[in-house]
Amino acid sequence: MSGAGLPALRRSLGLRSTTAVSAGLAFAAIDYLGGVTVAIFVAGDAAWLAILAAGILCLLAALAFSELNSLYPTAAAIRLYMRNSMDDRVALTITFTYMTTIILIIAADAFIVGRAVQYVLFPDQDFLSLPIIAALIGLAVFSNLQGVRMAGNLQEIVTYSALAITVVVSVVALALHGFRFDNPITGVFGAGTNPVLAVVYGIFLFSAFEWVTTTAEEARKPSLVPKGMLVALVLLYIGTAAFTMALTAYFPDHAALRTVPYPQLLMAQRALGVGGLVAMFVATGLTAMNTFNGGFLTASRFIYAASREGNLPRSLSRLNVNAVPWVPVLALGIISLVVATLVYVTGAWLILVSVGAALEAMIYAVAAYCVIVLRRRRRDAAREFRMPFGYVTPVAALIVFGGLALVAAFADPNNPSGFSLVPAAILAGMGIVSAVYVIVVTPRLRQRVAATAAPRRPRRPPRSQ
Amino acid sequence: MATWEEIAEALVDYQQSCNSNQRLRRVQRDWSKVINFTCLDDPTVIFQMTVVKGEITEWHSGYAAQHDIHVRATSEDFADMFWGDLNPSRKYLQGEIKVEGSQEDVMRLDAITSIIWPDV
Repeated sequence: MSGAGLPALRRSLGLRSTTAVSAGLAFAAIDYLGGVTVAIFVAGDAAWLAILAAGILCLLAALAFSELNSLYPTAAAIRLYMRNSMDDRVALTITFTYMTTIILIIAADAFIVGRAVQYVLFPDQDFLSLPIIAALIGLAVFSNLQGVRMAGNLQEIVTYSALAITVVVSVVALALHGFRFDNPITGVFGAGTNPVLAVVYGIFLFSAFEWVTTTAEEARKPSLVPKGMLVALVLLYIGTAAFTMALTAYFPDHAALRTVPYPQLLMAQRALGVGGLVAMFVATGLTAMNTFNGGFLTASRFIYAASREGNLPRSLSRLNVNAVPWVPVLALGIISLVVATLVYVTGAWLILVSVGAALEAMIYAVAAYCVIVLRRRRRDAAREFRMPFGYVTPVAALIVFGGLALVAAFADPNNPSGFSLVPAAILAGMGIVSAVYVIVVTPRLRQRVAATAAPRRPRRPPRSQ
Repeated sequence: MATWEEIAEALVDYQQSCNSNQRLRRVQRDWSKVINFTCLDDPTVIFQMTVVKGEITEWHSGYAAQHDIHVRATSEDFADMFWGDLNPSRKYLQGEIKVEGSQEDVMRLDAITSIIWPDV
């Protein structure tokens, strides 16, 4: 029994599951490139320190999401806390822009896994990468349309296995290297380094950990969601820091890694030979399983809900015979393929890390803003959790993440100087498209829904007085 | 505020509409759930529904000891929802209908309305 004498819910999530969901959504194949990106902006083996700083900052974001989650313990939380904190048009614009992160991550993972498959199975046939990428996305779309979903237990095994393989391979690699480190602390500062950019890109390594809040209605206790996020941050830190340390130990010339979309394979191969290569190849595949399962599922269900709410065309909520919103799944697949092809053709895969980092920092700043506003607007609403130290922590989170979002928007790891307008242009493009859609199209859709509903007579019989 | 009798009348129609809709039955063929419902404005009105492979096999007052989903809403919203006069997704996204269960189950519950009454 739970609550006020209510029977218990079957199959509710415990701490192990909430941790796996949080870590699983965050630990994507692109995190290996994220590690490279952090390493580019530090000297020696100091990336672990930048990732630690990023992890501590993400802790602030986790606290903000925990407070919002305790206020709105529902899968629809992002719509509710943003709608109640700001103008609904602004909230929708931010939400739609934020959702594009999932498309970026699906596209990036397809690209990275496709290149990894090509490197392992067809090492001298670079031209096969694109067909492999297309086949991977096609497979993901097909299995999603068939309603194939990873069972909860399998999802946990996949997540923990990917993390465990990454940590074990990295630690063994470091051991074989004699744990010899070059400037593990002072390497953050000094000539040619940029600690702020290193921290910004470090934040990307943890991105999407907050999506576990959408499972609030499945958790055994509300407190398990914040706890899951905290444990996931620690696990993600261990995995990404260990990998980046091993990577920098074996590739002291960090900048050279810019040209390699599968650094994890090269590191494992150099350190452990074929065994290491195979192990890391498996880990890469496992991260992609999580991305293709969780990414498609989360994004398509969000689009379904937005369509049913009247904010997206009705066709996006049509279900196929497997109860899958097939139009969003197909659209996600096509857009992901286009983005992955663009990345393949331009070779500018690290730009995705910049755009992703900026989007994540932006949404963390928005979460902090919502905490501040809702503390005023819903002063007396029950909260099981509050960010500590009054307004100090949410205001600090708003300033820090707002600043980091701006820094990421004007940074490009492909450019040795670190400066570029490209991420800002991409973000502005996505934001403008979202805003125009929300201002122009959404009101028309709502009018159409109202016009359809108006002539319909209620089926419920009138009350006899 | 709707009475239990009014909700029960709506449930009779809902069960008939669901079970006679072949497309819905096909879409929900792998969906078997026990659902508890609580009226927020009258917590004494509690009821349960059993869905087996997309077919509503039974519903009656009282909680099921073992359940997969728990839905909480006002009695008026329940009556309107079971008569097909209310869009559950919209109410859910406004925080007025609360659902304990997986995201998939939230969508499947809404799908019942969206398939039977697509204009809602």
